[in-house]
Parts: sequence; C-alpha cells; structure tokens
Amino acid sequence: MEFKLEAHRIVSISLGKIYNSRVQRGGIKLHKNLLVSLVLRSARQVYLSDPCPGLYLAGPAGIPAPPPQQQPGEPAAGPPAGWGEPPPPVARASWPETEPQPERPSVSHAPRVGDEVPVTTVTGVGDVLQGREADATEAAWSRVERPRQAAAGEAEGPAGGWGVFPEGSLAARRPCGCPLGGEDPPGTPAATPRTACCCAPRPAEDEPPAPPAVCPRKRGAAGVGGGPAGCPAPGSTPLKKPRRNLEQPPSGGEDDDAEEMETGNVANLISIFGSSFSGLLRKSPGGGREEEEGEESGPEAAEPGQICCDKPVLRDMNPWSTAIVAF
Amino acid sequence: LKCTEKYVYYLSFQSKSDIISTVEFNHTGELLATGDKGGRVVIFQREQESKNQVHRRGEYNVYSTFQSHEPEFDYLKSLEIEEKINKIRWLPQQNAAYFLLSTNDKTVKLWKVSERDKRPEGYNLKDEEGRLRDPATITTLRVPVLRPMDLMVEATPRRVFANAHTYHINSISVNSDYETYMSADDLRINLWNFEITNQSFNIVDIKPANMEELTEVITAAEFHPHHCNTFVYSSSKGTIRLCDMRASALCDRHTKFFEEPEDPSNRSFFSEIISSISDVKFSHSGRYIMTRDYLTVKVWDLNMENRPIETYQVHDYLRSKLCSLYENDCIFDKFECVWNGSDSVIMTGSYNNFFRMFDRNTKRDVTLEASRENSKPRAILKPRKVCVGGKRRKDEISVDSLDFSKKILHTAWHPSENIIAVAATNNLYIFQDKVN
Repeated sequence: MEFKLEAHRIVSISLGKIYNSRVQRGGIKLHKNLLVSLVLRSARQVYLSDPCPGLYLAGPAGIPAPPPQQQPGEPAAGPPAGWGEPPPPVARASWPETEPQPERPSVSHAPRVGDEVPVTTVTGVGDVLQGREADATEAAWSRVERPRQAAAGEAEGPAGGWGVFPEGSLAARRPCGCPLGGEDPPGTPAATPRTACCCAPRPAEDEPPAPPAVCPRKRGAAGVGGGPAGCPAPGSTPLKKPRRNLEQPPSGGEDDDAEEMETGNVANLISIFGSSFSGLLRKSPGGGREEEEGEESGPEAAEPGQICCDKPVLRDMNPWSTAIVAF
Repeated sequence: LKCTEKYVYYLSFQSKSDIISTVEFNHTGELLATGDKGGRVVIFQREQESKNQVHRRGEYNVYSTFQSHEPEFDYLKSLEIEEKINKIRWLPQQNAAYFLLSTNDKTVKLWKVSERDKRPEGYNLKDEEGRLRDPATITTLRVPVLRPMDLMVEATPRRVFANAHTYHINSISVNSDYETYMSADDLRINLWNFEITNQSFNIVDIKPANMEELTEVITAAEFHPHHCNTFVYSSSKGTIRLCDMRASALCDRHTKFFEEPEDPSNRSFFSEIISSISDVKFSHSGRYIMTRDYLTVKVWDLNMENRPIETYQVHDYLRSKLCSLYENDCIFDKFECVWNGSDSVIMTGSYNNFFRMFDRNTKRDVTLEASRENSKPRAILKPRKVCVGGKRRKDEISVDSLDFSKKILHTAWHPSENIIAVAATNNLYIFQDKVN
C-alpha cells in the first residue's frame, strides 16, 4: 500500500524531471532522461501491481471506494530513507508481468533488469489493458494519438512539437525536509502550495486520485464519452474539467489545491511523456520511425510524429485514465 | 610512494564565477589545466624548485587563461549548446609549446599554449607602436632584431573538430600513437586524426534503429595507455566493453565485456541509476581499469570479465537516502576517479567537499575535506569521518548534516608525485604530502 503511494510519488517526480529537462540549457540530456525513464518504469510497475483491491473500485464519478488501509494519522515513523532499501515483495513483481494479481506476487525470482525490460514490460501492461478494458482504452488511446498528429503543426516548444503547457503546474513535488535539508531540486517550480513530504502523512491526500487510475474503463466510459465531441479544436480551453472531477471525491485531510495541481500535472505531463523513448507509450509499433541524422537531438525529436495531445482532448478524458493509458 | 594520509593544505585558487568542470595534469605534472562552466580554461604551472629552498616544493601559479568555448545556438534544432568544458586532455609535449584538447558538448578544440618572451623590434615599415610609416621618410634599411620582453603566454586554437556529434560529448582520449584521439557521446564514439578536422571515423555506434528501444548509453571512454588499438567504454548499465580496433572497422562488437552480476538483495527503484558508471580509467600500467558508479569504485583486471577484483565503498551510507537523492538530482552526479602514479592508491570525490583515497595494498582508506575553514595553509589535513548511526563522536559528522551542494566530482593526481588537485565547486585545492 505504502509502496504504491511512494511509487506514485516517484512517478510524479520523474515526470517532473522529464518536463524540466526540456527547458534546461544545453538541450535534453539523453543519459539522465534514460535513467529517469527507468525509474519511472519501475515505479509504474509497482504502482500497477500493488495489490489493493479496494483502490480499484473507483466509480465513474470519481468517488473512490474507501481504501481499507488508509491511515491519515499514520505516524511518520516509516523512514523516508526506506526508499533505498529493497522494496517489499509486492514491488518485486517480475518484470514481464502479464496481469496484475490481486494477491501479492511471489518473490520467486530476482527481477532482471535486462534488455527485454522496456519492451516486455510495456507489452505486459499493454496486454493487461487490452484484457481488461480493451475497447475503451483503445478508443481513448487512439483518440489521444490522432489529435497529436493533428496538432503537429501547433506550438513548437524547444524540443520540437511539444506543445504548450500551463506554467508552473508541472512541478515535481517539493522535496521533503528530511533528510537532506529540503532543498528544491534545481529547475523545479516551487509553485506547489503544500509541502510535499515523503513522510507518511501524505497518503491521505494521495488516496483519492489513485483509485480511478487503474480502472480506465470505468472512468473512461464517463470521461471519454465526451471524446468525439472533444476532438481537437485548436485549443484555448484550459484543463478545468478534469480538475473539477477530482474535487469531488471526499477524502479526509485532503488538500484540494495541491491535488488539483497534481492532476493537472499528470494530465499535462502525459503529453511530454507521449514522445518519450524506451517504449513507455508503445501500443503500436508505428511511432518509432527511422529518423535522419539531421533530426536527431534527443529522444523527443526522434519522434516528431508523436506530438503532444491537444488540451481540449485531455480535458475530456479523466486525467488518471489518461495517465495510466499513457503509461 | 608512501601512503597518502598526511596531506598538507597547500594552495587554493578561487574562481569568482564559475564552477570547475574538469581538472587534468599534463604528462610531466608541470602543468595543471582546469575547465569551467563558463567555457574558460585556466592553466597552472609549477614553479621551478629553487635551489635555496630545497625543502620547499614548487608551487602552482596561474600560467594562462583563455576562453576555449563560447555558448552557441543550434538554430536548426532550437537548442542552446553549453560552453561548459566537459573534459581537457593534454598531448605529450613534443616541442616548446604545449597542446591540449578541450571539449564542450559538441565541439573539440586543439589549443596550442606557447610562450613568447622576445619580440621583434626595428621594423622598417612600421614604427614602434606598429603604425605604418610614410615610405617617403624611410631612408635607411635595417634588420629587425629580437629583444627580450615580459613573458607572455598565448593560447591559440589550432584545430576545431566540430559537427561530428549529435549527442553530448562526455569523453575525449588521446591515443598512445599521439596521432589520433577519440571523442565519445551518449551513443557514438568517433576517431579523429589531429591533422584532419573535416572528417572523423565512427568506431562505435550503439544507437538502436528504433530510439524507443534505447536501454543504455555510453558514459565514458578511454584509450589504453600503451596499446593504440585498444580502448574501453563504459555504459549506463554498469558494464564496460573493451574493443580492439584491429578486429573490425566498426567496433560494435566488443572484445571483452566486463559486468558484475547484480546483487538482488540491493534491488530498489534506483538500482539502475546507481549502477551507471560515471568514469572509467585505465591504470598507468594498462593492466587494470577502474570504474566509478554512484556508491562505489571498482578495480577490474583486464583478464577477468565476470567481476571486479576490488570494490571500494565510497559513501555507502547514502544507500538508504537514494529516494531523496533522486529528488534533488544528486543521484545523477557524475563522480570521477583517478589513479596515483604507481597505481597503488585511488581517489574519488564525495559530498560535503569530502574526497576519499583507497590504498590498494594496505586496504586502508581515508576521507579528507577540501575546505578553507578546516585547513590552515601548511597544516596537515585531518581525516574526516561520517557517523552512520548511533552515537556521534566529537569530530564526526552525521549523514544528515552533509552538505550535498558541496560535491567533489573532479580530482587529478600528479603523474609521479604525491600532489593532488581537487575541484570543489568553484575552488581549486592543491594538496601535496608533507615533506619533512
């Protein structure tokens, strides 16, 4: 449970780093982005495989089933430094995972971080999605991709074709004050109003958004229903709708503003993520084409065909389903 | 060379502006070059030991300063190219001038550093200030003569090797034939001839056909010190490949592959990041290679590929802090490592301006600190200790008190003497062992 939350947090942080790398001086650093994407994949794996059935029962309106293990008052005794320790068995789901098991996966073998990880993992998760929410997901996914191509001609960011994002909303969370003195990572917009801490008190805030994420079909049916109508009109509409969706679920001790921002983060970060390498978004092999030498400037520019999703489309999709589909 | 626990704080140069990004002694140790984030190179020269004060070692003074690289903008890709000097490598001295290679992310330059201590005087057509004389006023002819002048050190760019790297250059290495060198970026390694700037030869290419399938990048590369056909390159997956250029033109298939099996009990989200090798260095003998990853330094025997022969923990107390270090980006810091002249001691940096030395023979190690506050000139550096738990002793520092903004990424060791150069952010410290 906690590891799912930590995994979620790492996912947010990682996405923030990928975003920030785009605006860094000197261009995108391939090495660092590759490492971040590997962490992202690990965290996503944990996030998807964490066996908490209660969290999966989100209704279409976004009201999550009360998570059984939620303990807002949980003491911060769990060391934030526990991150460096080996994750528990639940996190060690084998890399080529075909389905998230409702029970804990056994720690039968050490996960092998090998060459097959990127492709296999993606395929595995893809298979999962296929098996469980095939139609809606596919429909959502293709809807995302089409507007991307349509939006190809639009706003060109520094890395080429990334599109425009609301400023300041793509923060990785501010690092906690423990144990490293609480310095903001360079480049992280310090816009988040709350102090995100890796200590335990956070779970209360994170619970509600988590449940819908893993059940895209249920959310998607509601969120994506407006899809066709929401197909890209070159966009001036900000992402208000998804945020409103997520204000609804009740949760003890939740900080609405921060959560709002976080959702917006993820929804927007998907667009960046859409063109990332390592097959993180590989549903169909069509995206990875040979690029000429002259076009190479890093992973993002290597797939200029996959431009970010247009905002109006994202608006109509539940951001968590978007996130999980993207992942 | 004796064990290096008694270092005397020697001399420190503080650059007001820029963070030092590379440090390198030349082959005799007479010169020490530093590159910084602002694209400047500063060269220090050791002064001659005076016969009067035999016990006093020569000190390093600024010899030359020049702007090696400027920021550039790639308009085609809308990318700014940083002027930061990633690496400096010296060529062996073959005449009175000194030559070095310096590189930023995209362009390698060959610089000639030479002295001028005479200047011609007595021109016929120009006056002493260099203004042209009216030919009508010239009635005599004389031969210009060379007269002594104040020593001037000038640096001139002799070659510019550009437009050969799509990704960011991380390494350059001069071949032992002194005719060629290589430059390595994230995915490719190119071989250059010093005389030819408009073409280079690609010898390693690990770019996948589909970038989506990218799983590792090249992180460092170096030529063998004696065998001009052999080089190694390290990867972000913690592996080292040794290649022989005689085997094929494109050295995509390695001759040797060095990898240590992963310890499954240490698995975490960040296992891949901390196994990424940030530096690889051949020993002076050419028998060993040393690699640095985030938490350890490893020594490998070229004849044994399946595991290193020695592993040294640099700052294992950080293993439980990896998530925080990931958040603040410290986990991506690229530490370098160096051998001493006799390959008996290895050195690498850490945080809090600490740096570590490991004696391979005695298996002793020491942690020292590069800071003015803690070192008076000519005083012996005091070994430092990080307290990892339990009761902290008086002189120890606890892990939570470490300053992660003070990191020592770049160090250099004199090729034959116990003199070390340590770059701490924008300060350069030069230490040498105590002479009685």
